[in-house]
This record gives sequence, structure tokens and C-alpha cells, in this order.
Amino acid sequence: MFPSHHPTRRDMFRAGGASLFGMSMAQFFQARASAAGKPEPRAKQMILIWMAGGPPHQDMFDMKPDTPPPFGSELKQGKSNVPGMEFCELMPRLARNADKFSILRSVGIGSEKWEHSGGLYWLCGNPRTKDTPKYPMYGSVVAHERPAPKGLPTFVSFGHYYDTGDAAGDLRNNYLGSAYDPLTFKPGDAKNEVGAMLLPPAHLDLSAMDKRENLLKSLDQQLRKLDAAGPIIAGLDQYQQSSFDLLRSPKLRDAVDPKKLYSRDVERYGKSEQGTMALYARRMIEIGVPFVFVPWPGWDMHGNITEGCKNVLPKVDALLSSLLDDLDARGLLETTIVAMLGEMGRNKIYKDSAYSGPPGRDHWGTTQFVIVAGGGFKQGMVLGKTDKTSLRVTDNYYSPISFGRTLYHLLGIDPDKELYTTTNQPLKISIDNAPLIKEIIA
Amino acid sequence: MFVRCLLGLLVVTGLTPLGAAEPVPTDPLFSRHVVPIFSRLGCNAGGCHGAVKGQNGFRLSLFGAEPTSDHARLLREANGRRLNRLTFDDSLLLLKGSGTVPHEGGNRMPVGSREYQIVRNWIASGAKLDNLDASRVTRLSVEPGIQTAKVTERYRLQVSAAFADGSNEDVTALCSFEVVSKELARVDLSGEVQAIGVGDTAIIARFRGEPVVAMLVVPRAGTEPFPDVKPVNFIDGHVLAKLQRLNIHPALPCDDATFLRRVSLDVTGSLPLPSEARAFLADATTDKRSKKIEELLARPGHIALWTTKLCDILRPAGFDGKHGLTEAAEARRFYEWIRSRLAENTPYDQLAERVLLATSLEGRPSQEWIKEVRSLLEENVALRPDLKAYSSRRTLDLYWQRNNATGVKGAMQVAHAFLGLRLECAQCHRHPHDVWQQDDLLSFANFFMRVSNPTAGGSSTTIAKEGEMLAKEAKELRDQAKKVGEKTKDKSLSKDDVAKVNAEVKSLNDKATALDAASRRIKGTEIHVGGKPTFAGVTSTLGKQESKQFRLLGAKQPVSVGTEQDPRELVVAWLRQSDNPFFAQAMVNRVWAHYFGRGIIDPPDHLSPLNPPSHPELLDALSKGFIENKYDLRWLHRTILASRTYQQTAQTNITNRADTTNYASAYLRRLSAEVLVDAVNHATGGTETYPPELFLPPGAKAIEVAGGTGSDRTRASLQYPFSIFGRPMRNPDVQCDCERDGKPTIVQTLYLANHPAIHHKISDAKGRVTQVLKIITDDDKRIEELFLWSLSRLPLADERQICLKYIKDGPTPQRAYEDVLWSLLNTREFLFNH
Repeated sequence: MFPSHHPTRRDMFRAGGASLFGMSMAQFFQARASAAGKPEPRAKQMILIWMAGGPPHQDMFDMKPDTPPPFGSELKQGKSNVPGMEFCELMPRLARNADKFSILRSVGIGSEKWEHSGGLYWLCGNPRTKDTPKYPMYGSVVAHERPAPKGLPTFVSFGHYYDTGDAAGDLRNNYLGSAYDPLTFKPGDAKNEVGAMLLPPAHLDLSAMDKRENLLKSLDQQLRKLDAAGPIIAGLDQYQQSSFDLLRSPKLRDAVDPKKLYSRDVERYGKSEQGTMALYARRMIEIGVPFVFVPWPGWDMHGNITEGCKNVLPKVDALLSSLLDDLDARGLLETTIVAMLGEMGRNKIYKDSAYSGPPGRDHWGTTQFVIVAGGGFKQGMVLGKTDKTSLRVTDNYYSPISFGRTLYHLLGIDPDKELYTTTNQPLKISIDNAPLIKEIIA
Repeated sequence: MFVRCLLGLLVVTGLTPLGAAEPVPTDPLFSRHVVPIFSRLGCNAGGCHGAVKGQNGFRLSLFGAEPTSDHARLLREANGRRLNRLTFDDSLLLLKGSGTVPHEGGNRMPVGSREYQIVRNWIASGAKLDNLDASRVTRLSVEPGIQTAKVTERYRLQVSAAFADGSNEDVTALCSFEVVSKELARVDLSGEVQAIGVGDTAIIARFRGEPVVAMLVVPRAGTEPFPDVKPVNFIDGHVLAKLQRLNIHPALPCDDATFLRRVSLDVTGSLPLPSEARAFLADATTDKRSKKIEELLARPGHIALWTTKLCDILRPAGFDGKHGLTEAAEARRFYEWIRSRLAENTPYDQLAERVLLATSLEGRPSQEWIKEVRSLLEENVALRPDLKAYSSRRTLDLYWQRNNATGVKGAMQVAHAFLGLRLECAQCHRHPHDVWQQDDLLSFANFFMRVSNPTAGGSSTTIAKEGEMLAKEAKELRDQAKKVGEKTKDKSLSKDDVAKVNAEVKSLNDKATALDAASRRIKGTEIHVGGKPTFAGVTSTLGKQESKQFRLLGAKQPVSVGTEQDPRELVVAWLRQSDNPFFAQAMVNRVWAHYFGRGIIDPPDHLSPLNPPSHPELLDALSKGFIENKYDLRWLHRTILASRTYQQTAQTNITNRADTTNYASAYLRRLSAEVLVDAVNHATGGTETYPPELFLPPGAKAIEVAGGTGSDRTRASLQYPFSIFGRPMRNPDVQCDCERDGKPTIVQTLYLANHPAIHHKISDAKGRVTQVLKIITDDDKRIEELFLWSLSRLPLADERQICLKYIKDGPTPQRAYEDVLWSLLNTREFLFNH
């Protein structure tokens, strides 16, 4: 969004001048143009529930009842309302809602070398390492390609972004630049300053706000005259306009107001911190926020795997079944992708010397589960198989690139489209030409 | 250099046709040909077979560091199937590498490719391990070393290696290549470079793990004559020379108002007062800019700003809080000590010495130190903000009292803080993007292994005894307090007398508290050098490594250290050698980066032959000047600030618009967290409040905050803007200047537009708007005043008209002026130093 952006001399120079600079004009206008002439996408919105640390697929959605521990699980598998779609019995409500989502068992990085850094791969849909370009996360691409209507952020994150701790592994640091970063806050948190800043100034009505903003615009011309300030000023223009739009819209404010949650909803979502985040995510979808990222840390279960699952799987059960139920009841599931996954699966049960207490499971980057629902994904389906140890895919293997391309496909974003980095380098959204996961598209 | 460049051109375009295939050696050597192929194709990278566990049962040494073990694994493991001496093409190495049988890493060397042929020929000729001494690389060079090319032009790099046996070989086809500034050029596996952008960049070629750097210069096309620009000092000479080479024209000098705002923010972290701005603009003398620079360098704000900078680098955090002072109190003393040194303009080498050679006793009798600790704790219990007891110490022993200040981690911090080097990766392996080996780090860490505190062993018994005595004394005082307190049971005492007794009790208890804390501190923190000699080692995923040598970074030979000697003295002596390649450069480069938003070497804390400077001669000249001027930091600041380059406008011309690295114009920099908070307060008349543990009076500036911002319960009012504007946490485990984040974000604009605290400051009854309305009656003058407080300039004619009209139409003057100030705070002009 570049409100009333008149091409500066600099843009003209870039657009008409040496081929080196020929990209920038396109960068400025392509977002609008492409958003205008596109066919209606299957999915308009998306919730990504991110199980950071790597949930144990063999204890949850890819169980092997005939394989004893340590490869198999100490937990039991149960039937669901879809024949043949079975998963851990600790998720009975999901079992009654299995026709609302699908399980992918054969989509994965397929290699042990990624481990936690695989989160970068999954969240970008590109193999992102320190030697590759710093690909942006899906939410940033959506913010770039399909900006939200006025008054709403495009990309909201309910907590910290995925970060493997080194400079290459920080998703905030991506080639689209900070203009497409999420609005990050934790709804319901008493110290949530973002909530406080969303309340419009008490002493100004809408017309007074308009007048004040016009005053600002007319006083804010000096740096704009500096051609060299281009990208940084344009980025700020965008933030500022979004900020003002946010203040005018009560929708977002109300959606994050804890006083406006019903206690029976909180109850239904499992009365857990994560459940309530999922409830807020639903509210974001209801008001029209295009992309919501819900981080769910704590899945790196090197110890206490079975008890840990007994504690956390009911939370998964309550949260996901309520979310799918609610979106469905509101007619939103059809156009909203819900995806739930982590950066990897887990290995056989073992004793990690660093953890006292009962044994856990080590990292396993080769296989894992991915849950998808809504937005043009088939429902009630299991895609692919792993061997009896759950450690190798035996059929229908797809990479996270295919997963990313499938998401973009459903979101109506061409994954082969070239975006421009902050240094004007053209790069395709999805760098490798991997196949779509056709079987899972409805 | 230009001669070399021309020669390079001849070699490239005259003799070697583009894309010509190198002949395949018929009798390839393992370490010279095969191992480099593993590196070139990424087989021995950390993510593949170079991983500690290898990959799928096959392990190679990381980046080919150990050809002998690689050879052994190829030969003996997997039942010898990796190499088939009869039907060579059936060797597993070739079958997998070429993807003929399933290989997770894919088809790395297709059948028939040059790499395939080399490996095959090596197997065919017996799969021997060559003589590694003879195959040691003595020199690796790349031609052309510097190449000038036009945009879209292509040329080829040629890498040659000289080996210890005297032989030379063209190894281009065995190398991997990487462009440092990826927006300027592309390079492929054959070494063919294509220029795609204007500027200059390094291109790194790697043979095995060895790197060598080539430079590419891409001048702008265009024939306009270079303007006749006079350099003010040597800085400009170097900057202009490079601009001329690139055919980029420098920007004009900035106007006085811009200069004053820029230099005030950069030097003191504060905006100028309106009176100061008016006086400066009215001043017609020609040397007013240099006078202003001198004046600003002498202000407390300059000291505070650089104390904050040095604290970012030295990281006063990770004191464990068990030694009588809280984390905040320790950080405050650390800050005060640095502040005092900078206020005295201590030469930087001496400052470094007084940090690096710190001991608690500083050679004094232990009694004197104990006295010092006691007054330190008394000051602390009384929450007195003047922290003389610590800041007047000669050395900063607090630096060594932080967690992980010694040993390997300590060595990494010293290297980062004082040498601008990043050694983290050398903890585990040969650094792929740098030149440091694990042994370099460990041998350097040995200089910091003898620094000790009592908990780490080797406390002197007298000091421990003294500590016990103080604890005993404290107990006696408490008993005495109890006894005195019992007097209040006497019903006949008057109210006044009871109060007197209670005061006496409190005073006794306070003394006891201070004594107890002093006792803990004396027993727990005394930094000294000695104890059992131990050596630095690391246990990483690659196994345990140790060094028993003392070797300085970059030195070939170890040095001997006497058993009684403080090895750190040798480090400091080395830092102060005029030919030390890092010490002066690291500081010069960081100061430069402060004023320009990027280092001559950038990132500024990554000095490395693989990260070459944009202006090597300039960096050299500045470093030499810094040393010749006895490490006088003010000389450094003054010289940079005086340059034409610093005083340019941000307004670009047709030639320099795309420049971001050659200082062809001033670059916009967002105000840092502390400076922004202070600028908002300056403009609005607002203040901050601080919890007592920060030892700051109410109204103190944000730039004076030493460490954290208080606990959850008591937080300083500026905690939130600090967090969203990227003030660093200063975790001692992180070695990166990048922890201070200068990126704009949406939350920042939301904050300035609508945070309750900002509204409060603008509309406060004691705030700027109310004051201006009270003191000044003329609207024109009022508007001027608000512009001067916020943007440090007078309004332009149209801005004046717009504001006057707004005020006329406004509901009340107060509200209208609040809106004007709000608007000014939300301009980009306010948020950026420009």
C-alpha cells in the first residue's frame, strides 16, 4: 500500500534508466496490479498453528499400533468418524470431527540434516539456510501480495517468530524487508501495549483525526524531497497509513479485547493458553485478517514423552476441534486454511542424558505429520504412509516446497511469481519447481 | 593494483576463452583434486557428510580439513564398496555422487562431468593418498585480483595454487565461488563473473577450505565531468578518489540547520535547544561548524552516548547478583566507571588496558580493597547515586566478574569487543566464512585462563578471613540492634525517645546489611590472576579439543608465559603494538559506523580478510592517525565530523541515487532507542521515571540508563519504547553489534502515533505546548518554537501558513498546538537523523 504515491524522479530514473534499475517501478506497482486482475482464490485467509520443537508424529497422527515402543507409541490409537483415519485416542473430539481435516503423513523435509532449522524451510516453503536468500515467511508474502482491507493488519503473529538463534535463522530478517513483518502481540496479555495503542485517542473524533493526519501529511514533506530516501520512506508511509487505519477500525480492537470473550468459548477451546490463542485466531479470521500465526512452543520433548502427550494432546483435541467447528459453523472454513505442524517429527523413545525423568524422543527431520483443513484442502483424508518405524516415508512423498506451493496455489498467489528483494533482486516466491500436492486439493 | 588488474584482464580475455574446459588430470592427487571436489560440491559441508555423524553412514572431515581420515573412510568403510578398483564406475562414491543410485544429496557430479572424471581417474590410478606435506598449499592466488567491468559484462576468475613441493596448478575448476554483495554480481561454478550492479564487491574463491578474495569494481556509465570538489581533510581525499573511480558524484554540503541537528544527535544524542539553533543559524563566522563540534564533544551527553555504546560492546550483564549488589546496581557501577574514563578522555589503549588487566586489589594491600568494598556497599544501601567508590577505581574488575568472562567464552568476547572479530564458529570447527581455526581460538583463550575469582578457586586465605570477620561484625551489630530495640519495651519512654531508639536500630541494621553484603562480595568476587594453570579446551560435536599454547590471534608462533605472569599483559602489549591489525581498526571502524550508519568494514564487528573494507586506504589512514594521536577518541570524532563527507546532504543527484556503500551522500539513520526517547522528551517537555534500583534521579535522560530497566513490578517508564526501538539486551553470550536493531517497524509508528504515554507527554500541563502558549503570545513565534524543539529548524513559509490556518480553525489553541506537535513528532524528519 503506497497511499497517493506519485512516482518520484528516482522511480522514473529506475524505471526508464539502466536495466539494473529497471525493477523498482515494477516493485512499487506490481502488488496492486496483480491483486486486481487475479481469479478468486480458494482460500482467502489462513491460520498457521506452529508446534515449535517438533511434535511426536508416532504418538499423535501417525501411530503404528503393531510396532511396540521404542519405535511405536506407549499410547493407543482410536477410530474416528472417517473409516481408516485413525490417530491417538487422547483426541476423541477430533475423532468425531475427522471429516473436517486431513492428515499428511508423507510430506516432510526427508532429511535429518535440518532438525530445528527445518522450521525455516517449512515456514518459507523454500530450503532456507545461511547460504540461500532470506526467503520470507508465507504471512509476509501474503502481506506483500494480498494486503488486507483498510483498518486491518494483513499478518498477525501472537508471539515470537520462528528463530533458530543465528542471523540466518531469524524469519524477521527476510528479503522483503520489515514492511511485511507481522503485527506481533499477545492478545489478552495485561501488558499488551499494542492493545493500548489500538484504542483511538479519547479526545478526538473521526473528523478531528482526519484533520490532524492531513496536517501531518502536509508537514511531512521534507525528507520526501530527498530522492535517496525512497525505499525507507515508502516503507514508513505504509506503516503509518496502516497505523492510522487501525485506529479507525474498532474491529481489531474488539477482536483482541479479553472482556469480549465468552467463558464458555474459553472452556470449549480447552481453557489453555494455546486454546485461548486459537480462539483469538478465530476472531481474527472473523473480522477478516488474512494471515494469523499462532506459535505453540514446547514440543521439543527430549524427556517425558508419554506423560507429556497425555497432558498436551487433550489441549490439541479441544483447540483444533473447536476451531474447525466454529469456522465451519460460520461458513468460514471453506475459505480459510487451517494448518497445524511443527518443524520435524521425532525419533524412537530414548534416554537423553541431559534430561532427568522418564525418556523422550530425539529429533527426526525425515518424517512428521501435517494437519490441513479448509480453504480448498480435501477433508477426512490421510495422505501417504510411513514404514512400521514411522521413520521413513514409503509412498506419496512430497517436500515442504510442494507444501508451500500448494498453500500459495490455494491462496491464489502464483508461486513462480518474482518478487523483488530490498536490494532489487528478482526472486521467485518458490525457488524450486516441485509438484503441487494434487491428491489433497479438493 | 591497477597494473595487476590490467594483467588480469589480459589473462582472462586474451588467453582463456570463456567457458573453456580445463583438462582433466590423468593422475589426480587425493588432497589436491579429490578433496577440493568434495568441498566444491558441498559434500563435506556441515549439513552433509561433513556433519559429525556424517550422513547415512558416510562421514567426511568438515571442509576437507583431514584428508588422511577422509581417505581411510573411503577405502575401508562400507566393506570397501565405496571404491571399486576393477570396474571403477561401480564405486559407490561415483554411483551415489552421480545420483545413479538413490542419493539424498542428489546428482552432484553427473557421469562424464569433469568432477566425475577426476574422481574416476583417481580410483583408476590406485586411489592413493598423496604426500600431504608436499601438497600443502603455500600460496593461493586469484586473477584478476581487481577487475573493472561494466554492468552486464562477464569475465572469468582464475585461481592458482602453489604447493609445498614447488609445483603450481590452475585450480579454478576445483574451487567454489561466492559474491559478497549479491546485488552487484553473479558468479558460477566455472568462476565466470557477471557484473549486474554499480559499486564494488569482493568475490571469494575457496579451494578445499582455503579462501582467496578478488575484487570487482563496476563504474557507473555516463560522461558528465566529475565535479570540482575540495576535500576538507584526508577522509574526503579517499572517499572522493573512490567515487571518481566509480564515476559517482558526491552530494553537496548540507545546510546549517541540518548540520546542527545531525551533529547534535550524533555527538550528544540530544537535539539542540531552540536558542542554540537560532544562535547557530545567525552566526556568520566561517568556522562555526568546527567550533560547534568542539563544544558538543565536551558535553556530558557525548560522554553518556559513548558510555552506552561501550556498554553495548562490553556487555555489563550476567553478574549473578549474589555478591551484595543487584544486577542493576552492578551494571550501574560498570557504566559509571566507563563514563568516568570517557569524561577524563582516557586514551583508548589505556582504557582497554584498564579493563583487560583488571584485578580487584590492583596491587594494593587487601585491607585497602576491603575498605573500598565496604564504602561501595554503604553507598549501595543508602541508594546514593554518586558511585565514587567504584568509578574512581583504576581498573574495571566488574568486567571479569560477569558470567563467562574468562576462558574460551571470555576470549571470544575480548576478540569481539576489542578486535572486532567473530570467533564463535571456531569453537567447533574451521570457520567456513573466516580464517580462524579452532586452535587459534583455544590458544588465544589460554591468555584468559588464569583470571580467577574465589568461587573458581585460589582465593587468598587472608581475604577469606577478612570476609568472615565482616560477617561476624554484622552479626554483632544485629545483636546490638536487637538489644537497643528492647529499650522500647520500657513503657515510660516518650514518643520522641521511642523514635530515637527506632532510628538507632535502623541505622545499626543498615550498617549490618552493608557489612553482610560486603562480606559476601569480599568472599565471592575478588578477581586475581593465578591459581592452578589450566588450559582452554572445548567439547563440541566434533570431539574434545585442547590447546596448551599461548598464541596471539594471527601469530604463527606461540609465546612463552612465565608461571607467575599475568598472560593478559601480553595480550594488551600486543593490542598496543602499532602494527596490531585489529585493535585500532576495530574502534575506528565502529566510530565511523556510528556516524555513517555503516562501517568501512560492514558489519562493523566483522573484521576479516573475507569481508574487505569498502575504503581500505581510508581505514588505514584513520587507524594510523588514531594511533599517532595516542588513541585519542576525541581526535577521531573530531576528524570524522570535520570531513566534507560527514557534512554532506542526504539529497542525492542523478549519479549517486543508488549508492549505499560509498558515502556519496548522507544516509538516513533511524534514531536509536535511547536517543528517540530523549528526543520525544526534548520536544514535548516530558520526563521519565525510574525505579530506585537504577540509581537515576527522576528526569534523567534515557541515554543515562546503564543496564536493564528494572523488574516487572517497578519498570522504568521507558521500558516499552526501549523494547520496540531495539535497545540491545547485552547478553554476554551474544557477540554481535547487530543486537542493537535499527529497523523501523509498524509498532514504532503506532507508538509515536497513539501510545498513551505520547499523548500524555504532548498534553501534559507541564509540557511544551502549555509552556509555549503561556510564555509566547504570537502564533507565528509559537509555531517557530515548536518546530525548533522538534525538528531543530524554522518552519518553511508554506508550513507556517498551514499551521496558522490549522490553529485558526482549531477547537482551542491548546488542542490545535497539541496537534501541531503531534504531527511534527510523527514526521519522518523527526524519526530519522538525516
